[in-house]
Amino acid sequence: MAFEGCPGSKMAYFPRNVEQEGAPAANVTSQLRQWPVQLHLVSPMAPYFQGADVLLSADCVAYALGNFHSDYLKGKALAIACPKLDAEQDIYVEKIKGLIEDAKINTLTIMIMQVPCCSGLLKLAEQAAQTANRKVPIKYMVVGVQGEILQEAWV
Amino acid sequence: MDKYLNRGIKEVISEFPAIGPILDEYNIGCTLCGVGTCLLKDIVQVHNLQPEEERELMGRISGIVFPGRHVELSVTAGRSAASGKPEIKYSPAMQGLVDEHAVIKRVLAMVPVIIEGLDASRDEDRTLVRDTVDFIRSYADRYHHAKEEEILFKEFDENLEMVKVFNEDHRIGRGHVKAVLEALETGDNRTIQEHFMGYGELLTGHIKREDEVLYPWMDRNLSTSQIGRLFSRFASVDGQFRDVREKQEAFVKTLEEKYKHEEVK
Repeated sequence: MAFEGCPGSKMAYFPRNVEQEGAPAANVTSQLRQWPVQLHLVSPMAPYFQGADVLLSADCVAYALGNFHSDYLKGKALAIACPKLDAEQDIYVEKIKGLIEDAKINTLTIMIMQVPCCSGLLKLAEQAAQTANRKVPIKYMVVGVQGEILQEAWV
Repeated sequence: MDKYLNRGIKEVISEFPAIGPILDEYNIGCTLCGVGTCLLKDIVQVHNLQPEEERELMGRISGIVFPGRHVELSVTAGRSAASGKPEIKYSPAMQGLVDEHAVIKRVLAMVPVIIEGLDASRDEDRTLVRDTVDFIRSYADRYHHAKEEEILFKEFDENLEMVKVFNEDHRIGRGHVKAVLEALETGDNRTIQEHFMGYGELLTGHIKREDEVLYPWMDRNLSTSQIGRLFSRFASVDGQFRDVREKQEAFVKTLEEKYKHEEVK
Protein backbone atom coordinates (compact mmCIF):
# COMPACT_ATOMS: atom_id res chain seq x y z
CA MET A 1 0.00 0.00 0.00
CA ALA A 2 1.41 3.33 -1.04
CA PHE A 3 2.20 5.90 1.63
CA GLU A 4 -0.46 8.59 1.39
CA GLY A 5 0.99 11.07 3.83
CA CYS A 6 -0.31 12.49 7.08
CA PRO A 7 -4.13 12.27 7.30
CA GLY A 8 -4.06 15.55 9.20
CA SER A 9 -2.71 17.47 6.21
CA LYS A 10 -3.93 15.29 3.33
CA MET A 11 -5.87 17.37 0.82
CA ALA A 12 -9.60 16.83 0.46
CA TYR A 13 -12.24 18.83 -1.37
CA PHE A 14 -15.98 18.84 -0.68
CA PRO A 15 -17.70 20.95 -3.32
CA ARG A 16 -21.02 22.35 -2.10
CA ASN A 17 -23.96 23.52 -4.13
CA VAL A 18 -24.42 26.89 -2.47
CA GLU A 19 -27.63 27.65 -4.39
CA GLN A 20 -29.30 24.43 -3.26
CA GLU A 21 -28.29 24.97 0.36
CA GLY A 22 -29.86 28.41 0.30
CA ALA A 23 -28.68 31.65 1.78
CA PRO A 24 -27.43 31.60 5.38
CA ALA A 25 -29.67 33.19 7.99
CA ALA A 26 -28.76 36.83 8.30
CA ASN A 27 -26.98 38.13 11.40
CA VAL A 28 -26.39 34.84 13.20
CA THR A 29 -25.61 35.82 16.78
CA SER A 30 -22.18 34.92 18.10
CA GLN A 31 -22.24 32.81 21.26
CA LEU A 32 -18.70 33.80 22.22
CA ARG A 33 -18.79 35.56 25.58
CA GLN A 34 -15.11 36.18 26.33
CA TRP A 35 -11.74 37.20 24.94
CA PRO A 36 -9.06 35.88 24.53
CA VAL A 37 -9.75 32.29 23.55
CA GLN A 38 -6.37 30.76 22.68
CA LEU A 39 -5.25 28.41 25.46
CA HIS A 40 -1.82 30.07 25.82
CA LEU A 41 -3.53 33.42 26.31
CA VAL A 42 -6.37 32.58 28.67
CA SER A 43 -6.03 32.54 32.44
CA PRO A 44 -7.79 29.87 34.51
CA MET A 45 -8.44 32.67 37.00
CA ALA A 46 -10.57 34.63 34.51
CA PRO A 47 -14.09 35.19 35.86
CA TYR A 48 -15.76 33.57 32.87
CA PHE A 49 -14.13 30.21 33.73
CA GLN A 50 -15.24 30.09 37.37
CA GLY A 51 -17.68 27.18 37.80
CA ALA A 52 -18.27 27.17 34.03
CA ASP A 53 -18.98 24.49 31.50
CA VAL A 54 -15.79 24.77 29.45
CA LEU A 55 -15.36 23.87 25.81
CA LEU A 56 -11.77 23.06 24.81
CA SER A 57 -11.86 22.96 21.06
CA ALA A 58 -9.23 22.09 18.48
CA ASP A 59 -8.66 25.10 16.21
CA CYS A 60 -10.22 23.52 13.12
CA VAL A 61 -13.49 22.42 14.76
CA ALA A 62 -15.28 25.76 14.50
CA TYR A 63 -14.61 25.86 10.73
CA ALA A 64 -15.83 22.31 10.14
CA LEU A 65 -19.06 22.55 12.15
CA GLY A 66 -21.70 24.77 10.58
CA ASN A 67 -23.62 25.07 13.85
CA PHE A 68 -20.64 25.45 16.18
CA HIS A 69 -21.88 28.61 17.89
CA SER A 70 -25.53 27.65 18.37
CA ASP A 71 -25.14 23.99 19.31
CA TYR A 72 -21.73 23.66 20.97
CA LEU A 73 -20.36 27.02 22.12
CA LYS A 74 -23.62 28.38 23.53
CA GLY A 75 -23.50 28.63 27.32
CA LYS A 76 -19.85 27.61 27.55
CA ALA A 77 -16.53 29.30 28.21
CA LEU A 78 -14.02 28.58 25.45
CA ALA A 79 -10.37 27.72 24.99
CA ILE A 80 -8.86 26.68 21.66
CA ALA A 81 -5.60 24.95 20.80
CA CYS A 82 -3.89 22.89 18.14
CA PRO A 83 -2.16 19.79 19.49
CA LYS A 84 -0.21 19.39 16.25
CA LEU A 85 1.24 22.83 15.70
CA ASP A 86 1.23 24.64 19.04
CA ALA A 87 4.45 24.86 21.07
CA GLU A 88 5.03 24.41 24.81
CA GLN A 89 2.13 22.08 25.39
CA ASP A 90 3.26 21.31 28.94
CA ILE A 91 1.82 24.76 29.71
CA TYR A 92 -1.49 23.53 28.30
CA VAL A 93 -1.53 20.67 30.80
CA GLU A 94 -1.00 23.14 33.66
CA LYS A 95 -3.69 25.47 32.30
CA ILE A 96 -6.26 22.68 32.07
CA LYS A 97 -5.30 21.51 35.54
CA GLY A 98 -5.80 25.09 36.72
CA LEU A 99 -9.28 25.14 35.18
CA ILE A 100 -10.21 21.97 37.03
CA GLU A 101 -8.65 22.85 40.39
CA ASP A 102 -8.69 26.64 40.64
CA ALA A 103 -11.57 27.70 38.41
CA LYS A 104 -13.56 24.71 39.71
CA ILE A 105 -15.20 24.28 36.34
CA ASN A 106 -18.44 22.29 36.17
CA THR A 107 -17.63 20.21 33.08
CA LEU A 108 -14.98 20.03 30.38
CA THR A 109 -15.98 19.19 26.81
CA ILE A 110 -13.17 18.46 24.36
CA MET A 111 -13.95 18.81 20.66
CA ILE A 112 -11.39 17.42 18.25
CA MET A 113 -11.23 16.66 14.55
CA GLN A 114 -11.20 13.09 13.28
CA VAL A 115 -7.59 13.30 12.10
CA PRO A 116 -5.22 11.25 14.31
CA CYS A 117 -3.00 14.14 15.42
CA CYS A 118 -6.00 15.88 16.99
CA SER A 119 -6.40 13.18 19.64
CA GLY A 120 -3.36 14.79 21.27
CA LEU A 121 -5.67 17.47 22.71
CA LEU A 122 -7.77 14.82 24.45
CA LYS A 123 -4.59 13.23 25.82
CA LEU A 124 -3.46 16.59 27.23
CA ALA A 125 -6.80 16.98 28.99
CA GLU A 126 -6.68 13.44 30.37
CA GLN A 127 -3.14 14.05 31.62
CA ALA A 128 -4.25 17.23 33.37
CA ALA A 129 -7.30 15.51 34.88
CA GLN A 130 -5.21 12.65 36.23
CA THR A 131 -2.88 15.00 38.07
CA ALA A 132 -5.63 17.30 39.36
CA ASN A 133 -6.82 16.80 42.93
CA ARG A 134 -10.39 17.53 41.91
CA LYS A 135 -12.49 15.44 39.54
CA VAL A 136 -14.75 16.84 36.86
CA PRO A 137 -16.87 15.16 34.16
CA ILE A 138 -15.04 15.22 30.82
CA LYS A 139 -16.79 14.60 27.56
CA TYR A 140 -15.20 14.38 24.12
CA MET A 141 -16.63 14.79 20.67
CA VAL A 142 -14.94 13.85 17.41
CA VAL A 143 -15.86 15.96 14.40
CA GLY A 144 -15.55 14.76 10.81
CA VAL A 145 -13.85 16.93 8.23
CA GLN A 146 -17.22 17.49 6.56
CA GLY A 147 -18.80 18.77 9.75
CA GLU A 148 -20.51 15.70 11.17
CA ILE A 149 -20.24 14.48 14.78
CA LEU A 150 -18.59 11.06 14.51
CA GLN A 151 -18.32 10.21 18.18
CA GLU A 152 -19.48 11.57 21.51
CA ALA A 153 -18.62 9.94 24.84
CA TRP A 154 -17.69 10.58 28.45
CA VAL A 155 -14.05 10.02 29.32
CA MET B 1 -54.99 3.13 20.62
CA ASP B 2 -53.93 6.38 22.30
CA LYS B 3 -56.04 5.56 25.34
CA TYR B 4 -53.97 2.39 25.87
CA LEU B 5 -50.66 4.18 25.28
CA ASN B 6 -51.65 6.60 28.04
CA ARG B 7 -52.66 3.95 30.56
CA GLY B 8 -50.58 2.45 33.40
CA ILE B 9 -48.84 -0.77 32.36
CA LYS B 10 -50.30 -2.85 35.20
CA GLU B 11 -53.80 -1.89 34.09
CA VAL B 12 -52.98 -2.74 30.46
CA ILE B 13 -51.50 -6.14 31.40
CA SER B 14 -54.43 -6.81 33.68
CA GLU B 15 -56.87 -6.26 30.78
CA PHE B 16 -54.64 -8.00 28.21
CA PRO B 17 -52.51 -10.57 30.11
CA ALA B 18 -50.86 -11.78 26.87
CA ILE B 19 -48.97 -8.46 26.68
CA GLY B 20 -46.91 -9.34 29.79
CA PRO B 21 -44.92 -12.22 28.24
CA ILE B 22 -44.39 -10.16 25.07
CA LEU B 23 -42.81 -7.34 27.10
CA ASP B 24 -40.63 -9.96 28.83
CA GLU B 25 -39.31 -11.05 25.42
CA TYR B 26 -38.00 -7.51 24.89
CA ASN B 27 -36.44 -7.44 28.39
CA ILE B 28 -39.08 -4.96 29.54
CA GLY B 29 -39.62 -6.36 33.00
CA CYS B 30 -42.91 -4.64 33.90
CA THR B 31 -44.58 -7.92 34.86
CA LEU B 32 -42.31 -8.03 37.93
CA CYS B 33 -42.97 -4.42 38.94
CA GLY B 34 -44.98 -4.06 42.12
CA VAL B 35 -46.32 -0.64 41.21
CA GLY B 36 -46.95 -0.65 37.46
CA THR B 37 -48.25 2.88 37.04
CA CYS B 38 -45.78 3.82 34.25
CA LEU B 39 -47.62 4.60 31.04
CA LEU B 40 -47.33 2.10 28.19
CA LYS B 41 -45.95 4.79 25.84
CA ASP B 42 -43.29 5.84 28.38
CA ILE B 43 -42.22 2.24 28.91
CA VAL B 44 -41.67 1.61 25.22
CA GLN B 45 -39.88 4.94 24.78
CA VAL B 46 -37.64 4.64 27.80
CA HIS B 47 -36.29 1.23 26.76
CA ASN B 48 -34.78 2.81 23.65
CA LEU B 49 -35.51 -0.13 21.37
CA GLN B 50 -34.19 -0.25 17.83
CA PRO B 51 -36.85 1.30 15.54
CA GLU B 52 -37.58 -2.07 13.90
CA GLU B 53 -37.87 -3.75 17.33
CA GLU B 54 -40.25 -1.05 18.49
CA ARG B 55 -42.40 -1.44 15.37
CA GLU B 56 -42.53 -5.21 15.89
CA LEU B 57 -43.39 -4.86 19.60
CA MET B 58 -46.10 -2.28 19.01
CA GLY B 59 -47.50 -4.40 16.16
CA ARG B 60 -47.79 -7.39 18.49
CA ILE B 61 -49.40 -5.30 21.23
CA SER B 62 -51.93 -3.77 18.85
CA GLY B 63 -52.65 -7.30 17.55
CA ILE B 64 -53.73 -8.26 21.07
CA VAL B 65 -55.66 -5.08 21.81
CA PHE B 66 -57.39 -5.02 18.41
CA PRO B 67 -57.38 -8.61 17.12
CA GLY B 68 -57.88 -8.89 13.40
CA ARG B 69 -57.35 -5.17 12.80
CA HIS B 70 -54.27 -3.43 11.47
CA VAL B 71 -53.41 -0.51 13.73
CA GLU B 72 -50.23 1.48 13.05
CA LEU B 73 -48.74 2.97 16.16
CA SER B 74 -45.44 4.34 17.25
CA VAL B 75 -44.39 6.10 20.41
CA THR B 76 -41.09 7.40 19.06
CA ALA B 77 -42.05 8.42 15.54
CA GLY B 78 -39.46 10.70 14.01
CA ARG B 79 -36.60 9.38 16.10
CA SER B 80 -33.47 8.89 14.03
CA ALA B 81 -32.89 5.33 12.92
CA ALA B 82 -29.29 5.75 14.01
CA SER B 83 -30.33 6.25 17.62
CA GLY B 84 -30.71 2.53 18.23
CA LYS B 85 -30.03 0.77 21.50
CA PRO B 86 -26.47 1.66 22.44
CA GLU B 87 -24.09 -0.22 24.67
CA ILE B 88 -24.71 1.20 28.15
CA LYS B 89 -22.07 3.75 28.97
CA TYR B 90 -22.97 6.00 31.86
CA SER B 91 -22.07 9.61 32.48
CA PRO B 92 -19.62 10.09 35.38
CA ALA B 93 -22.51 11.17 37.63
CA MET B 94 -24.59 8.08 36.91
CA GLN B 95 -21.55 5.78 37.01
CA GLY B 96 -21.13 6.62 40.70
CA LEU B 97 -24.68 5.43 41.43
CA VAL B 98 -24.10 2.25 39.41
CA ASP B 99 -20.94 1.59 41.45
CA GLU B 100 -22.98 1.94 44.66
CA HIS B 101 -25.48 -0.55 43.25
CA ALA B 102 -22.62 -3.02 42.86
CA VAL B 103 -21.91 -2.78 46.61
CA ILE B 104 -25.61 -3.16 47.51
CA LYS B 105 -25.96 -6.16 45.16
CA ARG B 106 -23.14 -7.95 47.01
CA VAL B 107 -25.27 -7.84 50.18
CA LEU B 108 -28.48 -8.76 48.36
CA ALA B 109 -26.72 -11.82 46.94
CA MET B 110 -26.07 -12.99 50.50
CA VAL B 111 -29.62 -12.46 51.83
CA PRO B 112 -30.66 -16.11 51.21
CA VAL B 113 -27.67 -17.44 53.18
CA ILE B 114 -28.08 -14.82 55.91
CA ILE B 115 -31.66 -15.90 56.61
CA GLU B 116 -31.12 -19.63 56.18
CA GLY B 117 -31.54 -21.25 59.59
CA LEU B 118 -31.79 -17.83 61.23
CA ASP B 119 -32.58 -18.04 64.94
CA ALA B 120 -33.51 -14.71 66.53
CA SER B 121 -32.93 -16.14 70.01
CA ARG B 122 -29.18 -16.41 69.30
CA ASP B 123 -27.07 -13.30 69.98
CA GLU B 124 -24.90 -13.92 66.92
CA ASP B 125 -27.92 -14.04 64.60
CA ARG B 126 -29.51 -10.99 66.20
CA THR B 127 -26.26 -9.04 65.66
CA LEU B 128 -26.12 -10.20 62.03
CA VAL B 129 -29.69 -9.02 61.39
CA ARG B 130 -29.00 -5.66 63.05
CA ASP B 131 -25.75 -5.18 61.10
CA THR B 132 -27.43 -6.03 57.80
CA VAL B 133 -30.28 -3.64 58.57
CA ASP B 134 -27.71 -1.00 59.50
CA PHE B 135 -26.10 -1.48 56.06
CA ILE B 136 -29.47 -1.17 54.32
CA ARG B 137 -30.50 1.90 56.29
CA SER B 138 -27.22 3.81 56.29
CA TYR B 139 -25.65 2.84 52.94
CA ALA B 140 -28.50 1.79 50.64
CA ASP B 141 -31.07 4.24 51.99
CA ARG B 142 -29.66 7.32 53.72
CA TYR B 143 -26.64 7.49 51.39
CA HIS B 144 -27.64 6.02 48.00
CA HIS B 145 -31.43 6.40 47.82
CA ALA B 146 -31.25 9.89 49.33
CA LYS B 147 -28.91 10.90 46.49
CA GLU B 148 -31.60 9.81 44.05
CA GLU B 149 -34.57 11.29 45.89
CA GLU B 150 -33.04 14.58 46.98
CA ILE B 151 -30.73 15.30 44.04
CA LEU B 152 -31.16 13.16 40.90
CA PHE B 153 -34.96 12.91 40.73
CA LYS B 154 -35.27 16.65 41.40
CA GLU B 155 -33.77 17.26 37.93
CA PHE B 156 -36.92 15.70 36.47
CA ASP B 157 -40.63 16.28 36.78
CA GLU B 158 -41.56 14.69 40.09
CA ASN B 159 -45.02 13.92 38.71
CA LEU B 160 -43.48 11.65 36.09
CA GLU B 161 -44.91 8.16 36.69
CA MET B 162 -41.47 6.58 36.33
CA VAL B 163 -40.01 8.73 39.10
CA LYS B 164 -43.02 7.95 41.31
CA VAL B 165 -42.52 4.22 40.73
CA PHE B 166 -38.88 4.27 41.81
CA ASN B 167 -39.73 6.40 44.86
CA GLU B 168 -42.48 3.93 45.72
CA ASP B 169 -39.96 1.06 45.60
CA HIS B 170 -37.87 2.95 48.19
CA ARG B 171 -40.93 3.34 50.40
CA ILE B 172 -41.87 -0.34 50.15
CA GLY B 173 -38.25 -1.30 50.92
CA ARG B 174 -38.32 0.81 54.09
CA GLY B 175 -41.48 -1.04 55.11
CA HIS B 176 -39.72 -4.41 54.75
CA VAL B 177 -36.79 -3.22 56.87
CA LYS B 178 -39.08 -1.86 59.58
CA ALA B 179 -40.93 -5.19 59.64
CA VAL B 180 -37.63 -7.09 60.01
CA LEU B 181 -36.71 -5.07 63.10
CA GLU B 182 -40.17 -5.43 64.64
CA ALA B 183 -40.07 -9.19 64.10
CA LEU B 184 -36.59 -9.31 65.62
CA GLU B 185 -38.00 -7.82 68.83
CA THR B 186 -40.66 -10.53 69.05
CA GLY B 187 -38.30 -13.30 67.91
CA ASP B 188 -40.48 -14.10 64.88
CA ASN B 189 -37.95 -15.88 62.61
CA ARG B 190 -40.40 -16.54 59.80
CA THR B 191 -41.40 -12.89 59.47
CA ILE B 192 -37.77 -11.77 59.53
CA GLN B 193 -37.01 -14.21 56.71
CA GLU B 194 -40.04 -13.18 54.65
CA HIS B 195 -39.29 -9.48 54.85
CA PHE B 196 -35.56 -9.90 54.19
CA MET B 197 -36.40 -11.93 51.08
CA GLY B 198 -39.07 -9.41 50.10
CA TYR B 199 -36.52 -6.62 50.39
CA GLY B 200 -33.91 -8.60 48.43
CA GLU B 201 -36.28 -9.38 45.57
CA LEU B 202 -37.65 -5.84 45.46
CA LEU B 203 -34.25 -4.18 45.38
CA THR B 204 -32.71 -6.66 42.93
CA GLY B 205 -35.39 -5.80 40.36
CA HIS B 206 -35.26 -2.11 41.26
CA ILE B 207 -31.49 -1.92 40.69
CA LYS B 208 -31.71 -3.83 37.41
CA ARG B 209 -34.35 -1.43 36.10
CA GLU B 210 -32.33 1.58 37.21
CA ASP B 211 -29.08 0.30 35.69
CA GLU B 212 -30.59 -0.82 32.40
CA VAL B 213 -33.44 1.61 31.86
CA LEU B 214 -33.80 4.58 34.19
CA TYR B 215 -30.20 5.82 34.37
CA PRO B 216 -29.52 5.48 30.61
CA TRP B 217 -32.78 7.31 29.94
CA MET B 218 -31.88 10.05 32.42
CA ASP B 219 -28.39 10.34 30.89
CA ARG B 220 -29.97 10.85 27.48
CA ASN B 221 -32.20 13.60 28.83
CA LEU B 222 -29.74 15.53 31.00
CA SER B 223 -27.59 18.31 29.58
CA THR B 224 -23.81 18.28 30.02
CA SER B 225 -24.17 21.11 32.51
CA GLN B 226 -26.75 19.17 34.56
CA ILE B 227 -24.41 16.15 34.61
CA GLY B 228 -21.67 18.43 35.95
CA ARG B 229 -23.90 19.75 38.73
CA LEU B 230 -25.06 16.27 39.69
CA PHE B 231 -21.46 15.01 39.74
CA SER B 232 -20.45 17.86 42.01
CA ARG B 233 -23.39 17.40 44.41
CA PHE B 234 -22.86 13.62 44.55
CA ALA B 235 -19.17 14.23 45.33
CA SER B 236 -20.22 16.47 48.20
CA VAL B 237 -22.51 13.74 49.61
CA ASP B 238 -19.70 11.18 49.16
CA GLY B 239 -17.53 13.41 51.34
CA GLN B 240 -20.19 13.66 54.05
CA PHE B 241 -20.70 9.88 54.05
CA ARG B 242 -17.02 8.89 53.88
CA ASP B 243 -17.12 7.17 57.30
CA VAL B 244 -20.38 5.38 56.51
CA ARG B 245 -19.01 4.15 53.19
CA GLU B 246 -15.80 2.85 54.75
CA LYS B 247 -17.65 1.15 57.59
CA GLN B 248 -20.27 -0.49 55.37
CA GLU B 249 -17.86 -1.55 52.63
CA ALA B 250 -15.80 -3.24 55.35
CA PHE B 251 -19.01 -4.92 56.62
CA VAL B 252 -19.70 -6.31 53.12
CA LYS B 253 -16.18 -7.75 52.95
CA THR B 254 -16.55 -9.32 56.39
CA LEU B 255 -19.88 -10.81 55.38
CA GLU B 256 -18.41 -12.26 52.20
CA GLU B 257 -15.46 -13.71 54.06
CA LYS B 258 -17.75 -15.22 56.70
CA TYR B 259 -19.95 -17.02 54.20
CA LYS B 260 -17.12 -18.02 51.92
CA HIS B 261 -15.47 -19.47 55.01
CA GLU B 262 -18.61 -21.43 55.92
CA GLU B 263 -18.99 -22.71 52.37
CA VAL B 264 -15.46 -24.11 52.51
CA LYS B 265 -16.28 -25.86 55.80
